[in-house]
Amino acid sequence: MKQSMALFLLCAVAAMAADLAGKWSGSFKAEGADHDIPQLVILKQHGSTLSGSAGPDASEQYPLENGRVDGNNVSFQVTTGEWKFSYNLTVEKDSLSGNLKLESTAQVRNAKVTLTRVKGQ
Amino acid sequence: MRKLILNIHLAIGIVAGVFVTLLGVTGGILAFEPELDRISHRDISYVKPGGRALSLAEIGNAISQKYPGEGIVAYLPSTNPGFPTRVILSRGIVSINQYTGDVLGVRTRGQSFLGTVRVLHVRLAMGNPGPFILKWSSLATVVSLLSGLYLWWPVKRMRIAGRWWSARFWYDLHSAIGFYSLLPALVLAGTGTVIGFEDHVSRLFDYISPQRPIENDLVLPVAKLEEAPLIGPDQAVAIASAQLPGGVPYRVQMPRYGGLYVVALEYLQRRVAGERNLISLDPATGKVISAHFSSDLSFRVRLLAANGAIHDGSIWGTPSRIVAAIASMLLPLQATSGLLIWLRRKGILHTR
Repeated sequence: MKQSMALFLLCAVAAMAADLAGKWSGSFKAEGADHDIPQLVILKQHGSTLSGSAGPDASEQYPLENGRVDGNNVSFQVTTGEWKFSYNLTVEKDSLSGNLKLESTAQVRNAKVTLTRVKGQ
Repeated sequence: MRKLILNIHLAIGIVAGVFVTLLGVTGGILAFEPELDRISHRDISYVKPGGRALSLAEIGNAISQKYPGEGIVAYLPSTNPGFPTRVILSRGIVSINQYTGDVLGVRTRGQSFLGTVRVLHVRLAMGNPGPFILKWSSLATVVSLLSGLYLWWPVKRMRIAGRWWSARFWYDLHSAIGFYSLLPALVLAGTGTVIGFEDHVSRLFDYISPQRPIENDLVLPVAKLEEAPLIGPDQAVAIASAQLPGGVPYRVQMPRYGGLYVVALEYLQRRVAGERNLISLDPATGKVISAHFSSDLSFRVRLLAANGAIHDGSIWGTPSRIVAAIASMLLPLQATSGLLIWLRRKGILHTR
């Protein structure tokens, strides 16, 4: 009985966790930069694991790495070339917002990023 | 008139002197950034040339054996026989001996000393106020150099006659350095100002010579990330090289990262400022999706690239980089000697 209850609670918590699958768009501006960089993130969710891709638009996408969902916290990374993008976001209704760290072998830059769910996917 | 010019010269020195000093020191270091970077990572930056260089596929296999399961983001083939080929992975940039297949090591991501020097030079290592302060400091340097020339003209002092630490010494030093470094310093400050005000300058160029920037023409097809590429990186390079005979590949972006093979090539013998030849290929068929060559670049892009190459001294190779580094390093000396002259005249500092 206790095991069934625990399983039920586990399923309930999983069901309550936001379904992040889908397309999310937004932009970021790194500190000291003078331009906004567009973002399109395509998420696939398998429990607490995220996969999918991200990039500036639909035609240029890079695979998601180390995608995790922990409650309202979402994290994933994208390597585009010399730069690696590490997202640490919080889910709020139909938006994901938080910090983005950009790292090359010489520099580390930070940015604030907000993504909103693309309607009518 | 002379008094007004002197006051402008002094005001700029006092207000912008510290930033000019910073720009000079960091600029002098950055003139030799590639060499300094290689020296600071010498164990993974050099190879002994010899024998046949491995193909990209063979290099990819060696990387996969060393780091199983890690996707290759891009190859950075060596364009110098003494430098290793590098491969970009998620964990960092791996150097590999292209003659033996030995993995030399990994450059992990993070803030480096030279990276810090660069962010100080371009944005004072801070957010939006940094670039704003620096671009106006560059412009102020141009005004300071021209006003300095006006002040120097009647005396025309070109050598140091005063005793060490005497008032005359600092005045002579300031005048002599100002004279001998005027032209390269003006070029550095002028090109730096253009970089700082690049958005405004771009708008001006687009007004004078209306031409759509080439990067806006690039339309890529939807990525097929789930599909394995049917052609290998060596085939991609062969197809791309046929588009630019004599061009040497220096970057091959893999299709899983961006949706297409993107091969960047350059001419080693006749490098031009801002050279950028990019060939994009469908990974399944090898069909050329887009081919953009340096010769297609707009007047604005070419001019701004040339401006950047003049500013960092790369325009004419090592000789121009040496001139840029020396002129850059003399700027702090000018700011310091100018400050000492002013402090002495104000009676704050006593010299011999």
